[in-house]
Amino acid sequence: MEVSPRFRVPLLALGFVSLAFGIAGGLARLSSFEVAETAIALHGPLMVSAFFGTVISLERAVAIDRLWAYAAPLAAGMGGIAFLSGFVAAGFLLVILAAAVFVGCGVVVVQRQPSLETATLLAGAAAWLAGNVMLFEGRAAVPWWIAFFALTIGGERLELSRYLKRAPWVRRAFAVLVGLLVLSPMVPRALGVVLLLLAVWLVAFDLARVTIRQDRLPRYVAACLLAGYFWLGIAGALIALATGYDAALHAFFVGFVFSMVFGHAPVILPAVLRVRFPYHPVLYLPLALLHASLAVRVLVSMPLGAWGNAAAIVLFVLVSLSLVTMFDHRQSGGAASR
Amino acid sequence: MSEDDVRAALKTVQDPEAGMSVLDLGLVYGIALEPGKVRVDMTMTSPACPASEYIVDEAAAAIRAVAPEGTEVEVRLVWEPPWSPERMSEDAQQRFGWK
Repeated sequence: MEVSPRFRVPLLALGFVSLAFGIAGGLARLSSFEVAETAIALHGPLMVSAFFGTVISLERAVAIDRLWAYAAPLAAGMGGIAFLSGFVAAGFLLVILAAAVFVGCGVVVVQRQPSLETATLLAGAAAWLAGNVMLFEGRAAVPWWIAFFALTIGGERLELSRYLKRAPWVRRAFAVLVGLLVLSPMVPRALGVVLLLLAVWLVAFDLARVTIRQDRLPRYVAACLLAGYFWLGIAGALIALATGYDAALHAFFVGFVFSMVFGHAPVILPAVLRVRFPYHPVLYLPLALLHASLAVRVLVSMPLGAWGNAAAIVLFVLVSLSLVTMFDHRQSGGAASR
Repeated sequence: MSEDDVRAALKTVQDPEAGMSVLDLGLVYGIALEPGKVRVDMTMTSPACPASEYIVDEAAAAIRAVAPEGTEVEVRLVWEPPWSPERMSEDAQQRFGWK
């Protein structure tokens, strides 16, 4: 059953509340400005489970086209609101519910087409659920959340890279990495090694290697991906060495995950919201700022880099809104109606 | 309206990330023409792809744009048989290293 894009907008907006307060909470850890206590304490859960959880599970709900699947972004978004309102335990339970529904979506995808790709996405969903349960129990959630993103993004990239000719061992190597990603969150240093290996696999075999030689949107997406793989490798190395906690986590979540978001927004937003998102080279501006400020964060000054990261995300949102609304003014009607 | 007209229309619908048309990528499984009606079966490389519905609508819009007025256009998303690289055009196979 198709849920009208009009009803998807409020769900996405819920996620953006968590993004805004999650970023503010992160910055408030480094500077002195007023923001809700829970936004500071729960920066990680707000960013990962409330913001990304809403966005990713909304995408999946659109993909599988089932009404119940929308309970996942709704619960994840409401989880963020519960965190910010001080109902922390309720927030934990809501993000667990969101992840459980998301696992259900993963099962539907596997049933639709059983494959290594869809199994990887299901494993990613299970890792998110595991992380959220760990959060509720007061145990380390972050390694599971890292596995959630690595498996979800990895599975999607494997899927798209099927366009490319590759030796059979390349796929088998990916299957081994999936197995290791599922197990290694229990041993964080081992997880670091697996992330490093995943980065090598992605740089060597991803479709982005070909599309970076094209132009316009495919090239821009490829640039986002390849820059993200660089930071994935850095994050893996730092986690393996158990050093630079802030650098390692933000190399992963900002350098790898947000770079994916920057790349895929022009592809995914039209699908989710039925708006036109025309490509424009100005998109390289927030992308460059994101990666440059992350380099500053890791190498020079953590607070300065963190502000730069936040500025890059805000700039990306503004650029995206401008491109979408400019197109709407130029050409009304949007996507084709059925 | 001929099958070639439908193919030409589908050639304008791109997989945004691959930068190639859904026709070249072998995502179009079948085109059926009846008087006053066009039906296309197509697939995606991933059943988890949120862009599926959008690309299907883009395909329908591209066909409608060239079809005689009043033509019923139906584009269906199918998952059987699963997509495989042999379905790609010569051009696509060359670009992605199969030839």
